[in-house]
Formats: sequence, C-alpha cells, structure tokens
Amino acid sequence: MLKKFIPSAARSPWLYRINAGSCNGCDVELATTALIPRYDVERLGCKYCGSPKHADIVLITGLMTKSLYSKVMRLYEEVPEPKVTVAVGICPVTGCVYADSYQVVGPVDKHIPIDINILGCPPRPQAIIAGLADAINLWKERIS
Amino acid sequence: MIGSFPLETIFTIVAATLFGITFSLFLKGVDRKLIARLQARQGPPIAQPFHDFAKLLRKQILIPSNSHGVMFLSVPLVGVAAMILAVCLLPVPGWKPLAIGGDLLVLLYLLAVPGIVIMLAGSSSGSVYGSLGFSREMSLILAYEGPLLFALVSVAMFVGQSTGSFAVFSLAEIVSYQKSHGPLLFEPLMWPALLTYLACLPATLGVGPFDIAEAETEILEGPLIEYSGPPLALLQLMQAMQRLVVLILGIILFIPNGPGGILGLFFLACKVALFAMVAITLLRASMGRMRIDQAFLFFFTWPEAVGLLGLILIAVFV
Repeated sequence: MLKKFIPSAARSPWLYRINAGSCNGCDVELATTALIPRYDVERLGCKYCGSPKHADIVLITGLMTKSLYSKVMRLYEEVPEPKVTVAVGICPVTGCVYADSYQVVGPVDKHIPIDINILGCPPRPQAIIAGLADAINLWKERIS
Repeated sequence: MIGSFPLETIFTIVAATLFGITFSLFLKGVDRKLIARLQARQGPPIAQPFHDFAKLLRKQILIPSNSHGVMFLSVPLVGVAAMILAVCLLPVPGWKPLAIGGDLLVLLYLLAVPGIVIMLAGSSSGSVYGSLGFSREMSLILAYEGPLLFALVSVAMFVGQSTGSFAVFSLAEIVSYQKSHGPLLFEPLMWPALLTYLACLPATLGVGPFDIAEAETEILEGPLIEYSGPPLALLQLMQAMQRLVVLILGIILFIPNGPGGILGLFFLACKVALFAMVAITLLRASMGRMRIDQAFLFFFTWPEAVGLLGLILIAVFV
C-alpha cells in the first residue's frame, strides 16, 4: 500500500540552504530563483524551509571555512534521511579564488557526499533550476 | 445506547474524517496556488499539500536530545484528534452530526486546542525558537479569545432571544433558525459580531498578518522548527483542518442556507472556498506581518470594542 505514495511523495522536495562560508553571490542567486516570479521554483513543488529538519534537498554554497566546519557538519546531520545534496557554485568543488587561504579546510565534497554540482560563479538562475531538476530526479529514486 | 451497534455514529466519524482531511488539504492547495498567481508566479499544483503530506510520512523522525520526547511526539496526535472531533460536531449536510447540547461551546474549546498544541509543541521541543513561538502564541491567544467569544455569544444570544430563551448554544438550532428566518448575514444587528469574527479568523489560524507565532522569516516556523517527518505532517494537517473548521463555523453562524444532502455539501464547499479566498488568501497576500505587540493592542481595541458593542446592541434591542 505504501508503494502507492511514491509518485506523490517524490513531488514535494523541500529545499534548505547552508552557507558554508560563501561570498553571498550564490546565495543571492538562490534567493532570486525563489523570489522572482519568472524563476519561481515553487511550481516544481519546492519550498525553501527555515529548519534543516524539514528539508529534503540541501543546497550548499561556499567553500568550507575552518570556523564554519563544525556548524555545517551539524546542520547537515540534522537533515532527516533520505536527502539529496547539491553544491551550488564552484567554491564547494575547487575553492575558487580562496582555494589557498589559511582559513579553508578544503572543498566541501571532502567532508560531505555531494550528489549534484551546479557550476558557475555565481551560477545563473536557469542553471540552478536545471540543477534542481536533476536533484529532483535523484530525490525520486531515493524516496522510492 | 448500550446494546445497539452505533452504526450511524461510526458513519459520521468516517465521513467527517475523510471530508475533513481531503477538503482541508485541497483548500490549502488552492490557497497556495492563488497566492502564487497574485504574485504573478506559476505556483505549485493544487495537489501539492497531498504530495507534501505523503512525503513527510516517509521521512525519518528526529527527536532532539533536550526535548520532552513523549510530549513532543504526542501533541500532534492530540491536535489532529481534536480537529477530527470538531469536524464531526459541525452540522454539515450529508451526514448526521454528533449532536450534543451546547456544541457551540464545545467547539470554542476545541478551537483553542490547536493553539495549545502549538504552544506545547514549541515548549517541549527544547529549541529557543520554539519557546519564542510559544510565548507569541500565548500572547495572541490571550488577545483574540475575548473578541472571538463575544462574536460566538452574540450569535447564540440573538437566536436565543428571538426564539424566547436567553441563548442557544446548539448549532443545529442556529441553523434551523436561519433556515426559517433568513441568514444572520443580512441582519444589521449581527454585523458587529460578523466583523469581530472576521478580525479574529486570521489570528486563530495563524495566517495573514497574524502569522506571528510561526513567522518563517523571523523565528523560522517557531514551534515547528524541531519537527520532522510524520509528526510534522500531522501538525500541518491539524492546521489545515483548523482552517476548515473555523471557515465552516463562520458559514454556519452567518449564512448556512442551502440545499440538503450531497448537493448541500457541495454548496457548502463552494461557500467555504469563496470565504477562504476573501478572508484568508487576499488578506494574506495584501498585508505584511504585524509585530506581536501591535497585534495584541489591535485585538484589545477594535475587535474587543466592536464585539462588546454588538453584544450590548443584541441584549438591548432583540
């Protein structure tokens, strides 16, 4: 009987943003996809939520800085299973121009398993929505 | 009755539960779609609350280590149970309500349950945001319960005085009075009570300018912040059903006229949808959030004064 819920359940991916020391560029673009009517992500069933415990898809922006490391790891663990992790921007992969900084503990995917990468510095809203569509496909597999 | 199988009661409970769950989630979907269209967005599909509910049922339950575990998990159940009972009490065409003497008073108490559930949920979650939401919800309840009581008692007194008794607290009698004498909506003496009810409606539901206890952008959904998975689904269902109960109660008190049977249920659903659109969605879309002190002052001045005035007018002139 539970199997019947799958197609319905997969259509409700809620988003949560974690700022792991980003310059705020990607965060502004994420806010754009949420707030500007043209890029409305709510039509995909997405909703930005305030609590990590409500989230299904985690969006991580920024390179992992030393001071935020423990906080980001804690937030990530508070997201209930199943979940999909999306890295937004090139910082979580390469570190961008801050890669050599003494404050950086390395790319995010060294600490957290990343499923989808949205590239760009910052990525365009269209790229974010395309990445989210990929993440939703992955989320469908995870929830079923 | 001991001995006879309560078939009719069971039918009422099953029918009311099914109607309450599906129609309240549908109303929420319409509300979200309409808000999106008002903001020139595409918006989620109307079935989105059903998808959300199904999704939350399949997620993991996290219990914070500093929460009161038993209370944390049991209050959502209490809230949903209270709302199902409230739907069973409403004299909705299509099935026979669980009639008891003063069901208007019982409903008033049942309508306070979601607020108390939100308070308990916030305080037992062990989160700072939860306790902030708890204190805000409590201030808001203190502010709006008075005017709400004035509005309900006005209706009870009007019907009671017109039929010879002091006050009538039976919803079935209020409905039958309006079916024979015309709806109370067109009774100028009842307009203060109607205005008071309309003012209290968004506050009881925690929407519109009064979503102070769960302010997503300030205190991150406050009392709900620590919930995940099925308990969160139940809390959201409770809030959706509370919205349905308050809207149907408003319609029963002021304009319950319509055909009986299944057609009457459809007619009622149309009225509820229209009422929800005007009194909740349009208001929510056109106003920002009030601060808790502003909301508190607001309820202690205008709705309180208008409600009291309406009650005095009814006591004097009817």
